[in-house]
Amino acid sequence: MTMHDCRDRARMLGSYLDGELEAAKLLEIDEHVGECETCREETQLLRAMRGSLKRVVRTAAPAGLRDRIGVAMTAERVREDARTDASLAREATEAEALGAKAPLVSLSSWRTMVPLATAAALALMWGAATRSTQGASTEASAGFGDDLLAELVAEHSSPLPLEAKDPDAVRGLERYVGVPLHPSSFERPGLNARLVGARVVPLHAQRAAMLQYVVGTGDDMRRVSVIVYDAQKIQIGTANLAPRAVGTAEVRVGREKGYSVAATQRAGVGYLVAGDLDPDRSAQLAAMVYDDR
Amino acid sequence: MNTSLPEALKPSKDPFSEEALTHLDAMYGVACKLTRNPTDAEDLVQDAFVKAMRARDQFHAGTNLKAWLFRILTNTFINKYRRGGLERSVLDGPDADPLADGWVSASTMRQLRDPEMLALMPIVEGEIQVALDALPAEFRLAVILCDVEEFSYEEIAQIMGCPIGTVMSRLHRGRKLLQRALYNHALALGIVKGEEHVGERSDAPHESKTANLAEYRARKRGAA
Repeated sequence: MTMHDCRDRARMLGSYLDGELEAAKLLEIDEHVGECETCREETQLLRAMRGSLKRVVRTAAPAGLRDRIGVAMTAERVREDARTDASLAREATEAEALGAKAPLVSLSSWRTMVPLATAAALALMWGAATRSTQGASTEASAGFGDDLLAELVAEHSSPLPLEAKDPDAVRGLERYVGVPLHPSSFERPGLNARLVGARVVPLHAQRAAMLQYVVGTGDDMRRVSVIVYDAQKIQIGTANLAPRAVGTAEVRVGREKGYSVAATQRAGVGYLVAGDLDPDRSAQLAAMVYDDR
Repeated sequence: MNTSLPEALKPSKDPFSEEALTHLDAMYGVACKLTRNPTDAEDLVQDAFVKAMRARDQFHAGTNLKAWLFRILTNTFINKYRRGGLERSVLDGPDADPLADGWVSASTMRQLRDPEMLALMPIVEGEIQVALDALPAEFRLAVILCDVEEFSYEEIAQIMGCPIGTVMSRLHRGRKLLQRALYNHALALGIVKGEEHVGERSDAPHESKTANLAEYRARKRGAA
């Protein structure tokens, strides 16, 4: 046997170990490995590497990931079901209002969003209920955060004068609050949200940005504040808020001083929506920080 | 309030997600190695599962769900983190450095592995993490799918969207690069002694290496 033969066979040792050789080749390599010490050692080394790779790569997914993904998958399914229902409903509406003006369509699309959010929320509440025992203890300890929530809602109910009005000027406040601001997040069809302006809100030793919007049209116009803050530095107590899923977003929703509030976090940035919208719409707005990134 | 929930809304009642989630740990382990970052890995895995849910009608019952999920994971990774594809690093990376097929002596190889277990010496095993992370993504993925998840070559070809021949050369090169990194590590630690002509076992003509590389690249381009 020449060295060259051994070389050729050595190239097949991987396939040999992987059980990917046809019978004739398998027998040939098997025999060769029995005779050739180098190829035998190479086979052993490949086996050892495989064993070590298994030990190094195999990792249990972190606790909570399974629940989170289960909920996101269910939310996806519910949303699909709802979408089918909604498109049927919309077809019916559009058929009825044949020849009606465009705004009707955008209104109906907003109306369909609410049941979607509700359906998704139900799914998460189930998920959250199954692990509420662990969650409760950690959140209950965030005592002073609850006062912060009240304080932020107070900023909404009696706002200080605005410091910036157009989107560029609002983004200019980023350097005072240290988190990215996306004043145009809610500019999307059917939502009818308009930016009014923003200001920096001092919070003890920290600062947050408060963006003000008007949502809705005609008689149904609501003022909404979105407070954006560094979630590492400012912890807002959300123990009294109920968890929900809107799409893949986790949002906490509840009431504070008569206002509807929805809180969420994304990439270390906290968002709190306060206003007199119904909770579903607040949740929907808060969830929009998950989009467009 | 639990009891008032319609059956269909309960996550545990959906057989598809239930079955898919039996592969969560495997998906997460591979995602960690792809992204090299646990936080990105969580996002990647979640994206992949949600996409699988959305596309579940395209899955043919009775075929390999795990391979299908890994294909989604791989595509999601490429689209999200590796826009522009996986190709360039192969041509610019370690592949540009001719890698011999040969290896060191049998006795040196013996010193690298743990005689008691089917594994490397603990001190060498510690380095495998680093060596694996240093591999180009497509080599890393091929090696993990084969050695850790034990997919067949055909399944790996489907997951990675390439011909079986490409799978074989990625595996071969990936394993050789790992071996070389581990050998260099052992050499630095003084576990093994340096050998002359590292990377060559025989006096086989050098031109065959270059020829193989050129052939490999030609195949690679042909596949792309």
